[in-house]
Amino acid sequence: MKNFADWLSATVPSIYLQTHEAWVLPAIQSLHITGIGIAVGSALMMTLRLLGWVGTDQTLLENHRRFAPWLTGALCLLLASGLLLIVAEPIRELITLSFWLKMACVAVMVVVFASFQASIRKHGADWEQTLSKRRSVRLAAVLTFVLWGCIIILGRLIAYDHIWGHLSPATKA
Amino acid sequence: MSVDFSAFLKSLEDSGLANSLRGSLYYFPFLESFHVMALAVLFGSILVVDLRALGVASTHRSFTRMSTELLRITWGAFVISACTGAMMFITNARVYAHNTPFQIKMVLLALAGINMAVFHLTAGRTVATWDKAPAAPKAGRITAGVSLGLWLGIILAGRVIGFTTTGAEAKEMPVSNVDFDDFLNNAPAGAPSSAPGHSP
Repeated sequence: MKNFADWLSATVPSIYLQTHEAWVLPAIQSLHITGIGIAVGSALMMTLRLLGWVGTDQTLLENHRRFAPWLTGALCLLLASGLLLIVAEPIRELITLSFWLKMACVAVMVVVFASFQASIRKHGADWEQTLSKRRSVRLAAVLTFVLWGCIIILGRLIAYDHIWGHLSPATKA
Repeated sequence: MSVDFSAFLKSLEDSGLANSLRGSLYYFPFLESFHVMALAVLFGSILVVDLRALGVASTHRSFTRMSTELLRITWGAFVISACTGAMMFITNARVYAHNTPFQIKMVLLALAGINMAVFHLTAGRTVATWDKAPAAPKAGRITAGVSLGLWLGIILAGRVIGFTTTGAEAKEMPVSNVDFDDFLNNAPAGAPSSAPGHSP
């Protein structure tokens, strides 16, 4: 990974972003945070609806159709802006424990979201009548939302990877 | 006035809370993380209501019901953002107070508050007449659009603070025997500090 990060930082787009105007990096990061806001907002609305706390004037499927595309769109925005951030600072991003823990959380979240999406589109009535009332399902929904908190913390910790001590590859490099 | 203000900022930095926040490797990154989490919920919930007022999404739902349901979430997230923000501020109050992006962010926040009041005084007063309509009347649509623009500006200004204050700290890092008052009067852009501060 260190070799890849070194290679990436010597590529033309990376050098271009490294020698950017001072506003470019904060602008991409702000775009990334905006994406997180849209994603967390959508995830929150779907979670709270599943729990029956808000939006009960619409069905679970209606709520899903309203917010799931926004979550998908936000994930695309996050992927694009995230890739730009990696290209701009390959070593700072890739040679950290925080980044890879974050990616693991993102992978779990994407799998959960994709499975939920596939299932509710097929079995909307089951979700409405039985599944959303199951304790295990409600717990899973809450945990998936908590995962967003972990993703945000780990994302911010990329800049502070030294707090992991010896576990951080940044301290060995 | 400016001297008193500097003394006030200095007293914030010298407070017990600020000292303990600066003293730990972990507090500042976690304060930032919780600030971002609260901001995500804050921006996300405001986006849902503003898009409804603009007539972009959830157009068939009652505006009053949606905004009432989300009000507690938005304000809860705002309180957490404000508290974590204030705690970060006191760790290095003089640097932040004189930091232009920070000042811009505070102005934008005040404008967002005024904008919200304008919404309540205009479209908010007649909400009963358009509650189920696909979009708010013109004044409501304008304030909803302005709200989104202001919040995007607040996110951008907030992120720039980390970049500009880290530079200020690096340049002004522990110089011994600095005359604090003289230093502040002449170079308000950055005060010496042992704060761990932002890492962009």
